[in-house]
Amino acid sequence: MKTRRHDNHISIPVESEDAERKNAILLQYIKEKVNQLLQIMGTKPLRDEELNDESLIAIDPIGIIAESFEQVLEHLKESNRQLQLARDYLQAVFDTAGVGISIIDRDLRIIKCNEKQKELLVAGVSHIEGKHCYEVYCGIDSPPLICPAIETLEMERPVFLKEVTKKGRVFQIVTSPLRDSAGTITGVIEVSLDMTEKKRAEEAMCQAEKLAAVGQLAAGIAHEINNPLGNILGYAKLLLMDQSITEAQGEKLKVIVEQANKGGQIIKGLLEFSRQKVPVFEKVSLNECVENALRSLGKGNSIRVVKRLGDIPYVMADPRQMEQVFHNILLNAIQALEGSGAIEIESKVIGGSIEVSVRDSGPGIPREHLSRIFEPFFTTKPVGNGTGLGLSICSELVKKHGGSIFVESEIGGGTTFSIIIPIGR
Amino acid sequence: MENETVINLDVISLDIRGQICPACLLISLKEINKHKGLLRNGEANLIVRTDHRDATRTIPDAAVAMGYAVSVEKKKGYYEITVGRKDEDQKA
Repeated sequence: MKTRRHDNHISIPVESEDAERKNAILLQYIKEKVNQLLQIMGTKPLRDEELNDESLIAIDPIGIIAESFEQVLEHLKESNRQLQLARDYLQAVFDTAGVGISIIDRDLRIIKCNEKQKELLVAGVSHIEGKHCYEVYCGIDSPPLICPAIETLEMERPVFLKEVTKKGRVFQIVTSPLRDSAGTITGVIEVSLDMTEKKRAEEAMCQAEKLAAVGQLAAGIAHEINNPLGNILGYAKLLLMDQSITEAQGEKLKVIVEQANKGGQIIKGLLEFSRQKVPVFEKVSLNECVENALRSLGKGNSIRVVKRLGDIPYVMADPRQMEQVFHNILLNAIQALEGSGAIEIESKVIGGSIEVSVRDSGPGIPREHLSRIFEPFFTTKPVGNGTGLGLSICSELVKKHGGSIFVESEIGGGTTFSIIIPIGR
Repeated sequence: MENETVINLDVISLDIRGQICPACLLISLKEINKHKGLLRNGEANLIVRTDHRDATRTIPDAAVAMGYAVSVEKKKGYYEITVGRKDEDQKA
């Protein structure tokens, strides 16, 4: 068919045959376009009898469909706006959720994950999307033997893992199948709840309960042993006063007295540890407590003590207990130095607290011992030379003052104990 | 054309029995366009009566694309197509 493009303004000259031919072409064009529009609207084309020009113009199909399209577009725009809104809400919920959420596809690639998930497991990694979840989350090259995501994909049901350790953190994980509108599983939604703190708290609780039991037992035994020990000491001293014993017997008696005294010291330590003495708070200068502790340890040997006691405010504390803390820590430092070296004592204000640090130039504490040194009865000294209670008493007392105690040590680099006591108490 | 429009409180009735496609759709669309404001606000429903079976597909399809809620009910000898606002508290 010979086609001719029509002009923008339509005039209908009826005089000439040429004009009629032109009109017929134009009308055909309009009909075609109307039918095209009707097809888009999903209905049938105009019938022949409807194709005469007058009724066609009377119905105004192009006008009607144009107006309808306007409504379709309005509806689309509004739908888009609402979708965007829903998307924004969903994204906000997704990102502010207290749990890590990941959407993973059938190939175990991460499609999307929320901010919490990134914070928990992928700090510092960019472009997580598209990577395998086991690489990014578990830090391994192939899927692990026990993987809730794989199980969910295979069994087509949610899977719950009570405890999984990933990158040093403990998680509870729930995976649920992600289905498309046809019900086919296209991936997995994995929700990770960080249990690390809870787990630590539970372990600490368990430890504390164990210690309390041990403490009570120790106190009971100590008390019972104290009486016979007192008798041994008393009778040995009586015998020592007896003029009829030989010098050799006297020497042996002195050993008995000495050993009984040592036993008494151990028992005293045990009782101090187990006796939950409530601190009597008063205005205290921690600098004075340090000075008193130093005085009680006396001078002697060649240990140099450097004091850098700052201008620190008073705190509310039990002076005798604080003195005992510094005494134990200083004693520990002196023993670590084994006769030569230096101890630095520093006190200063840090934020709302006072920090007193005691640094010795001793051999340092091995890493495997560091985490245990505040445990009661933990000692590296030969049997009979220490009860392993000194530092655990310190730790208990500092805790009772709302403070904390830290240790930093390096083999060959000395050891620093820091005691932090809040000023506000 | 003998289709009549009656505005009866919140019901706009359109009787196009006897009409077939594509006129059915065009007339219905024209009516929807005309009462756009009322229909969008939920102040009125448009009830189209038709006996042309194809129209029970074309009219709802077009109206849904335009963002309306549509229901079709079979009556004795004709269909009743209701077009109204799309939301939760729309009248049945």
